[in-house]
Amino acid sequence: MIDYLLLLFRVLVFPGFTFIVLFTMFCDWVERKFEARMQNRMGPSFTGPSGILQPIADFIKLLTKEEITPCESKRNVYRFAPILAFSVLVFALCFLPVDGNSIIPGVSFAGDLIFVMALVSVANFLLFLAGWSSSNPYSAVGAARVLTQFLGYDIPLVLLALAPAFLAKSLTIATIVSSQWLPFAILAPWAFVLFIITMQAELEKDPFDVPHAESEVVGGHETEYSGGKLAFLKLARDVQIVFGAALITVLFLGGANGPVPFGFLPQFWGTLWFVLKVLGMVIVSEYITVLFARLRIDQVVRANWRIILPLSVLSLILTISLAYWVFPLV
Amino acid sequence: MPNSNIDIVKILESKLSGKSVQILPGQLGTATIKVAPGDHRDVFRALVEADEYTAISAISGLDLGANLGVYYHVRTSNAFLTIEVEVPKNNPKIQTVNDIAPSAAFHELEVSDLFGLIVEGNPRSGHFVLPETWPEGIFPLRKDVNASEVKQNPPLPEEKSDEGKLVKIIIGPQHPALLEPEKFAVLVEGEIVKAVQPRIGYVHRGVEKASESRTYIQDVYLVERICGICNSCHATGFVEAVERILKTEVPPRGKYLRTIILEVNRIHSHLLTLGHAGLEIGYETLFQYFWRDREPIMDLQEMLTGNRVISSSLTVGGVRRDLKETDVPKIRSVLADLRKRLPFYTEIYQNEPSIRARMQNVGTLKREDALKLGVVGPVARASGVDIDIRKDDPYEAYAEIPFNEITKTAGDTWARMNVRMDEVEESIKIIEYALDHMPTGAYRIKVPRVVPAGEAISRVEAPRGELFYYVKSNGTTMPERVKVRTPTFANIPAFLTTAIGETIADIPPNFVSLDPCFSCTDR
Repeated sequence: MIDYLLLLFRVLVFPGFTFIVLFTMFCDWVERKFEARMQNRMGPSFTGPSGILQPIADFIKLLTKEEITPCESKRNVYRFAPILAFSVLVFALCFLPVDGNSIIPGVSFAGDLIFVMALVSVANFLLFLAGWSSSNPYSAVGAARVLTQFLGYDIPLVLLALAPAFLAKSLTIATIVSSQWLPFAILAPWAFVLFIITMQAELEKDPFDVPHAESEVVGGHETEYSGGKLAFLKLARDVQIVFGAALITVLFLGGANGPVPFGFLPQFWGTLWFVLKVLGMVIVSEYITVLFARLRIDQVVRANWRIILPLSVLSLILTISLAYWVFPLV
Repeated sequence: MPNSNIDIVKILESKLSGKSVQILPGQLGTATIKVAPGDHRDVFRALVEADEYTAISAISGLDLGANLGVYYHVRTSNAFLTIEVEVPKNNPKIQTVNDIAPSAAFHELEVSDLFGLIVEGNPRSGHFVLPETWPEGIFPLRKDVNASEVKQNPPLPEEKSDEGKLVKIIIGPQHPALLEPEKFAVLVEGEIVKAVQPRIGYVHRGVEKASESRTYIQDVYLVERICGICNSCHATGFVEAVERILKTEVPPRGKYLRTIILEVNRIHSHLLTLGHAGLEIGYETLFQYFWRDREPIMDLQEMLTGNRVISSSLTVGGVRRDLKETDVPKIRSVLADLRKRLPFYTEIYQNEPSIRARMQNVGTLKREDALKLGVVGPVARASGVDIDIRKDDPYEAYAEIPFNEITKTAGDTWARMNVRMDEVEESIKIIEYALDHMPTGAYRIKVPRVVPAGEAISRVEAPRGELFYYVKSNGTTMPERVKVRTPTFANIPAFLTTAIGETIADIPPNFVSLDPCFSCTDR
């Protein structure tokens, strides 16, 4: 009985659903505040201390707004795509060991890294469907851009995610994390840097935020959305950003492993390290965002096929040769 | 000034001998040329052959009672000519000059919309400024128009869709890339733009008509409201024209104060565009930085004129407010602060890779095209056409103040933005020079309220380029006709030309590099 209650607590409260949603909103606030300070602005200031409650207020405000469904839209897809995208991303997060263990205990299996990567693609595809089903020219262009971008950048992303897998000689996330007595970011910095850049494209952030280019395609795939659906679409996007940062943390920064092991309350320290690392990655991603202008869609695609993809293949070759011939000698 | 040794009047006299052409030097610019309808094409042919800088600045329509006057205001390398043609009102037909001087197309459309002139041979047709629901046969700028007729609105015609396999993407009237309402229907094949169909007039307020029923003093504040950003330039254009009819000379201190206000205007307008360009290419940080540094300049304008946006500081005969000696150090320190920031921004615009990726080789306007289309201001200067009214036809104190005319040769979006970037520095120099050499004495003189009958033109280099004013007085307290040609109106053809063959994603940066101002365009 107590086991079941504990499981329920883990899934619903900590480190499960509630924690993920609240942490996502906190990351959103950090992002907005950081971006604002980089741009000589104040950022959110009024809701709660330093505006920390602003993302929650925005979410609740959107939920109370009227929802409009265009009559030309494919209703069922239009209705369920945002909530599905959100759920899929939260589900993918459940596989990452936030406090040292994955959120649902025992869910980890051999090859779950590939499964998690597949879930990200599904979530991206759902965002595409959200735009495609709204029957709006701007949404259609935005959706086509989502598809173009993630089809291109998924390949290098998976190739680069294989680098830690080869270093740990396992496709299981838990093994990859536990074998990082030295973070893989130090062992294979080339893969780490490339992974951050590719993740930036995967998360559609500057300089790769072509699907959201408001001066070209208005709201992109979100153009027709309003009310609660828009709230979940926006939340899904924020969860995606946290997921991206968490994946980098897990694969390259040693997940919940701290620099100094503490004997007492390992779950508390594990969560703290994990959260700090994720926050760090969110800030790095936001830093890249504020530094660059948006590229054009053809430049984004060309950058992928001409630069990122060959480099990721090279990186994989380098990592494999290191993992199998150099590191065993050391 | 380009080719300053062409004597255009002599050339015209020799080429047009034997035709019924009357050349009146010294009127409405360098000379006024009166020709019969039909012969005006020969004048244009002679002008275009003689001087590559020939471009139509504006076409003013005039209601002369039984006749319609069509005044072609033409700028050449060193002269400004007005070609006057009169056509009978009951048969207002005139041949186009679009095929000889392509810069005429939009101006002819506007006159035909507002005066009912029938231009034979212009490829475009239909309403250009007036709404589609405007009743047939009513021309608002004619004197005999009755307000009650205008109210009978016919229904809006259905929009035709006959583009075949081209997809029509409509940018505007409401669109994030446009700050003001105007419509551009873009026909695309895939991502490539095949044609652009402009439709202006969404914020047409009839300022030209309204100014005819207001006194000259009221008109100064009316024309200022044509454009919030370059308001002082509009006021300058109007008061200069009125002062020329009055034959008054503004005291030197008034001229210097006007120059300072105009340059403050230019600085904040350029900073606005340089930042806005960042927003259009998704570079929010650049936008925020530029607009932060623009704030002190707005405060400077408030300190100088008493108002932050619409300055309302110019009046016929001078300026309304003197410069306080105690304010001079403050102005200098604000300008010094801005100057310290400029190298950083220049570096960003010159070398930042993502800006170069988005702006270089985008919207390239070749020098020949720039001359042919008659573009003005930074757009022309970025294409290597060295026209600047401050140098070519100095007004206020510009003849006495040394400054550099910035030109680039690339002609792309990047060059246009960099021209503006460098002009900010020149504007700071001009203000500092004006402060150093500020004459003492009166800053305004009293002028009579009644303006004697007469007509005059004036040209001002607004931040967006040549701003043209034509004012005709009939000896009362109100003008008979005020014609405004704003720089954006002259620059839109450049966008229509350069957007074709590029991608949809190139439209926002290309467009913003013209620094479009649609309130200006529509008036």
